[in-house]
Amino acid sequence: MKKKITAIIASAAMCLGLCGCGESTSSTQSTPANTSSKTESAASAASEANSAASTSGEISGADWDYIKDKGELVVGITYNMPMNYKDEQGELTGFETDFTNAVCEKLGVTPKFQVIEWSKKEIELKSKNIDVIWNGLTVNEDRKKEMLFSTSYMKNKQVTVVKAENKDKYPDTASMGELTIAFEAGSAGEDIITGDTALAECKQVKSEAQKDALLEVKSGTADACIVDYTLAKAFTKEGSDYADLAVLENIQSSDEEYAIGARLEDTTVVAKINAAIDELANEGKLSEIAKKYDLSDALLVGGNSADTSDTASETVSSAASESVSEAA
Amino acid sequence: MSFIDIMKSLSDGFSVTLMIFGITLAASLPLGLVFTFGSMSKVLPLRWLTKFVVWVIRGTPLMLQIILIFYGPGLLNWDLKFSRMNAVLIAFVINYSCYFSEIYRAGLESIPKGQYEAGQVLGMTKPQIFFKVVLMQVVKRIVPPMGNEIITLVKDTSLARVIAVTELVKAAEDIISQYANIRVYIYIAVFYLAFTALVTWLLHLAEKKLSYYSV
Repeated sequence: MKKKITAIIASAAMCLGLCGCGESTSSTQSTPANTSSKTESAASAASEANSAASTSGEISGADWDYIKDKGELVVGITYNMPMNYKDEQGELTGFETDFTNAVCEKLGVTPKFQVIEWSKKEIELKSKNIDVIWNGLTVNEDRKKEMLFSTSYMKNKQVTVVKAENKDKYPDTASMGELTIAFEAGSAGEDIITGDTALAECKQVKSEAQKDALLEVKSGTADACIVDYTLAKAFTKEGSDYADLAVLENIQSSDEEYAIGARLEDTTVVAKINAAIDELANEGKLSEIAKKYDLSDALLVGGNSADTSDTASETVSSAASESVSEAA
Repeated sequence: MSFIDIMKSLSDGFSVTLMIFGITLAASLPLGLVFTFGSMSKVLPLRWLTKFVVWVIRGTPLMLQIILIFYGPGLLNWDLKFSRMNAVLIAFVINYSCYFSEIYRAGLESIPKGQYEAGQVLGMTKPQIFFKVVLMQVVKRIVPPMGNEIITLVKDTSLARVIAVTELVKAAEDIISQYANIRVYIYIAVFYLAFTALVTWLLHLAEKKLSYYSV
């Protein structure tokens, strides 16, 4: 019996060992291919950026060919008002929906909206299940290591939401150190908590989605939550189930920016998208869409293009910023 | 969003739940038997391999298996790729086959050896003994534990949402995320309860039909 057990354990260990081998060899095999394609596309994008600054139609690269051959851009979204949501008829609508459709029309590809779990957006992107994240994605330094951002097109901030009756209890973040605070795992709200010395002391509840964080506050399992301002405003309006919650105007982050996230090596795709955004901004189409969803004051491009080159994120390729300044 | 509209959306989600449930059950009932034969095989390497697979599958969370099957190939740069629904079905079928196989094994091993010997004395062949003597007794004995697993499967379907398959729970959350209508959670509880009630009733019928020896 003992011998048998040892044999089983030994064979199990061998199997595990084999699995390990398989994995490492496959990854080493794929690495050279990866790096070469990366350098290739980076090089081509760079040369494009210099030569074809204004003629967006001529930009090309292996990463763009991948999208073009498929004929569709798979866009990772979650349902969240007012960005992407279903209307009464069950049709997908929202600012980002219209924006995506408009950009894809310029690019000559069909958008395919794929609902994802927000906490797995990076993995969805890397495993090529989606091509871009386009759903009110906040630009930050950590994410810049994981993905390539387009031009920032909208500003946002994180706000704190508490029960209405507690609204006056918390004048500043220092008064909130003892609280239980909910936020979406991997969201910009999480960075606020870890970045603030007082808030870092609080009990953290990592929700799966922003609206789950709101639900925590509503049900009393958390004292406060940190969510996007646009979402908080839409949720706590009169007549909704969350009307007994209040947005704390005095505790909020500095302005953040929304941009589209793509794979790090997809420089051409981002350059293409940026060029399309510029065109839409110049045509006034973008501000039209923003107006439809009451987001005009948050829009960063198209409204007054003089500011745009300042607020555009660092990762924007020179091609895009050049054509922006041309517009100005 | 009106009650009718909510029910319409929830029904869409529920049909996905039913599909995961139906296909998983239909595929893993026979596949479980294959695993059972593997784990009871006289060929030692085959037996070890099957037992190892069952150990891995039963020893890791189904949620993890779903995530690995869906994201794994893409992250390792394989050409092989599953749609969301297929990834869910593969994970569920393998997982439930492993659980079923152990129930089958328990059922088979509960039949006294004397019955096989009696069959041999009567001159029956091995397949005859298995199909005419053993099998129906096994079916009878495993109905209650199988019922347990099947009811668990109804609720495990909600795990499909980790890779954003819009089953019942996800459908509810999509409505809640937009209309802030918390009552929807209660509605889907009713969906699950009604469905498990149906499954329980069917299992009860099966048990009654099979209890032909009791007085």
